[in-house]
This record gives sequence, C-alpha cells and structure tokens, in this order.
Amino acid sequence: MAVPLRRTLIALHRATCNNLKSADGWVDVRQPHPLVVPVRGKKRHFIPPAVGIKEKTKADPEARARAAGLVFRQQYVERSINISCTAGIFDPYIPPEGDARLSTLSREGLKQRTEQLRQSAASQLAIRKIKEHDPLFNTKTFPELAQDIFIQAHMALTQFNKEKLHSLVTERCYPEMTRGNRLKTIRWSFVESLEPPRVVHARCPDMVTKTNLYGQVTLRMHSRQILALYDRFGRLLLGSEDEPKDVLEYLVVERHVVNPYGRWRLHGKIVPAWAPPKDPITKTVLIPGPKLKPGEDFDALQFEVPKPQSVQWSK
Amino acid sequence: MATACTGRGLSFLRSLTRHVRGTALSGRPPAGLHTSAALEVNKNWERRNLQLYPPQLPGEPRRAAEVHHCRRQIKYSKDKMWYLAKMIRGLSIDQAITQLEFNDKKGAKIVKEVLLEAQDMAVKNHNVEYKSNLYIAESHSGKGKYLKRIRYHGRGMFGIMDKVYCHYFVKLVEGPPPAAEPRTGLDQAQEYLLGLRSRTVRHSL
Repeated sequence: MAVPLRRTLIALHRATCNNLKSADGWVDVRQPHPLVVPVRGKKRHFIPPAVGIKEKTKADPEARARAAGLVFRQQYVERSINISCTAGIFDPYIPPEGDARLSTLSREGLKQRTEQLRQSAASQLAIRKIKEHDPLFNTKTFPELAQDIFIQAHMALTQFNKEKLHSLVTERCYPEMTRGNRLKTIRWSFVESLEPPRVVHARCPDMVTKTNLYGQVTLRMHSRQILALYDRFGRLLLGSEDEPKDVLEYLVVERHVVNPYGRWRLHGKIVPAWAPPKDPITKTVLIPGPKLKPGEDFDALQFEVPKPQSVQWSK
Repeated sequence: MATACTGRGLSFLRSLTRHVRGTALSGRPPAGLHTSAALEVNKNWERRNLQLYPPQLPGEPRRAAEVHHCRRQIKYSKDKMWYLAKMIRGLSIDQAITQLEFNDKKGAKIVKEVLLEAQDMAVKNHNVEYKSNLYIAESHSGKGKYLKRIRYHGRGMFGIMDKVYCHYFVKLVEGPPPAAEPRTGLDQAQEYLLGLRSRTVRHSL
C-alpha cells in the first residue's frame, strides 16, 4: 500500500513543480526537496476513550484557564428589535347582529346601511390622528386599497411567496395565516365583490410611549370567493374549486403611522359571535368522551356533544 | 495519509482546498470541507414526510396517505432488531402492536412505542381518518453510531469492544393490509425452472 501512495505523492510533487515553473514572474525556483514518505509503525492510531477519561474529568478546562491567567470579558448579547406591528386588535369592533341578513328595503336594513362612522367619536378621533401623520388617507378611497391588499395577500399565500406575504401582512397575522400550510396546497380566488367595502371602525393605539402610534382600521367586506384546501397527498380537505361562496368579513388593517416607511398591512379578521358555523370537513374526527370511573358505563344516548361557545374572536 | 506531505506539496493542496469553500447547502457542511464520518448524520427518512404531492384530479383514485417514522440510536443490536422488523412487515398496525406486546425481546417494547408514535402522528399531522386503517408497508433496522471501549484480555492483551446502537425505520400506509399471495412449493419450483430455462449461454459452440 505504501508503493502506490509514494507514486502519487511523487506525481503530485512533479505537478506542483511544473505549475510553479510555468507561472509568470516566478524568479527564484528552489530545488525540489526529497519527499518524506510516512511509514506505518506499531503505534496505535485509535485508542478507545475509556483510557483517558479519568484525567479529562479531573481537569476542569475553565479552572485551568483561570489559573493560567486567561480572563474573558463579559459578553453582552444585545440585539435591537424592531416592533412594526401590535400584538392584537385593540378595542375590537363588535359587528351588529344580523348584518347583511336583512334586506336593504326594510326599515332596519336602511338604518344599517346608513350607519356611518359618525356614530363613534373614538373612531373619528383615530382617523384624525392618522390623517395628521398620513395626509393621503381618505375614508372614501381607502377601502379599495385595503381590498387590493387583501386579494394580493391571499394570492401570495397560494403561491407561498414569503417575501411578498411579509410586505402585505403584519408579523402577528403571518403565523396565523401560514400555520400548518407548508404541507398543504391552497387554491383560492376572488370572484367578485358583492358590496363596496367600507370602513366601519378605527383606533389608534400607542405602544410603550405616547407618541408611538399604530393605526388600526376595520373594514367590512362582502364578497364572493372560491376556496379549496388539499392535504399533503393532494386529497380535498375543505371547500371546492367550482362553487363560489358569499363571505362577509371584517378585516383589520394596520400601519405604523409614525414610521415614514410604514405600510398598510392586513392585521387580522374579526369573527362575530353570530357567525354561522362553517361547512364540516370531509373527515371523521374523534371527540374525547367523558372520563369514566371504573365500573361506570358510557351512555351514548345521554352524552351531548359539546358545542363551541358563540363568542366574538379575532383571528 | 494525504496530510503527511511536506513543503511545497502541502501548500499546493492548501491553495486547492481554499478555493472550494462554497456556500452551505441546507444544513450539510460545504463541499470541500473534510469532516469525519462521526459528525455527518443522515436524516433522509424524516425528510420523506415533507414531500408535498400536487392536488389530485377528480378522476384519479384516492392516493393513500404514507407516514415515515424512525427512532435513532437505540441501544440494541441491529441484527436482533431485524427479527422484530421482519416479523411485523405487512401486518395491520393493530395486529403488529398486539404481537409486539406479547414478545419478550427488549426491542419489542421500543418498536411498539415507535408504532404508537407513528400512528398518533398519522392521525394528527398527516390527515389519516381512522387510526386502525394503517398497515406496515416497510420496516427495517439500520446500524447506528457505535461507541468503542476496551475489553481487557489476559497477558496485557486487549480488544476493542463495540457498544452497539441501531436505528429503526417504519413506513405506515393507509388502507387494509395487502393480501399476501399464497406461494405453494409447486409455484416456486416452476419459477426456478423458468429461471434456469431463460439463462443466456454465451460463447457456446
């Protein structure tokens, strides 16, 4: 085994000498030294670790370093954090019950339709504060922009374009949108908008200091959408690609108004307490039953399946 | 062996390796950097769970869900583990768990834990509807990283003892277990004859 090794080493040595000779501007070429060929002796190259363990455990490397006089300066692990969105929805909008259920021709329907922002003073104040920092903000033109952001964000979600999604959606909303979606395929499309979107609520909370303002605007959007969700193996989980569904949503859009580079981004959705239950998934799910003591029997007739509480929550 | 060159040769080799630093490829060390085999770990079996299939067309038959699960560095011999892996190949998951529960080997308890974990994962993460509707498609054991210790013999002689570790891999597939085709002795004999008759004889007269 030493002979072919020696040959390759000699060949390598010759190659290096040739390379050095052909390089331009190489003046002093030293004479090639004879190579030293390693010969395998009786020395054991690998000794199992059990031999030297006692010595290693006795000597503490930190103590040895301190005894030698090595001092480490205290390491400051500092990292600046940029908080560009709030953690939730402050003072959420409570959608009136029966919204979009009544026909616009009845008296109640008209009352709802003509419900303007003027009803809430806090919203007006918030809008005024936002207009101070962003003079281009207008309650009439803003809903279109917000709807555009919503559509683009969901298209980016279907393609899973992370960079674009981060620019259209806040950091608080991003994990909620994308959790569990890495191994799923989402097919979503926006068919049409049934009613023009409008601003229904606005708040301008501040974080840490009084001047650090974040603007949160709630929009009401009634539209028709198609959603189909496929699992990891391409099987349909939810929805269908052919049937569009009418959707009434309350979107919350947020912007760090004090920041000149801040942008309006989707922050969350409000699901009202009176929202109808969603379609069931195409799967049988086990609901955990009551805890029985030994000797008790499970009475299937008396057992009531627990239903979710109807409370308003934001997602 | 290659490291024992002197003088010009070593500097030449160094200049070669300096060129090939490259970028890290998703967790693997950069190509050209020599690491020992002890540090590189293969996680390919776990990566099979991250494969995403495109949505199926309405006419296609429903694709069966697959779950890959493994346990690494089990303190057991790979040859002894093979017997258990071979025993449960092709059984439904309930049958396999029952058989392992009443098996006296040390590895049986570990394999049973792995199967239960895999079943749980399948129901929670991989959209498997019924937890009993799974069968064991693949099951095998592999060699783990061994520790080496000294075994003392007489007359100052010693041997290097291996502390054996193994990995256990299992793949569960949704659906009833495939019916094993009964192969009689006659079938096997016929196959043997076919094999003999279909041989190609080269350079014959």
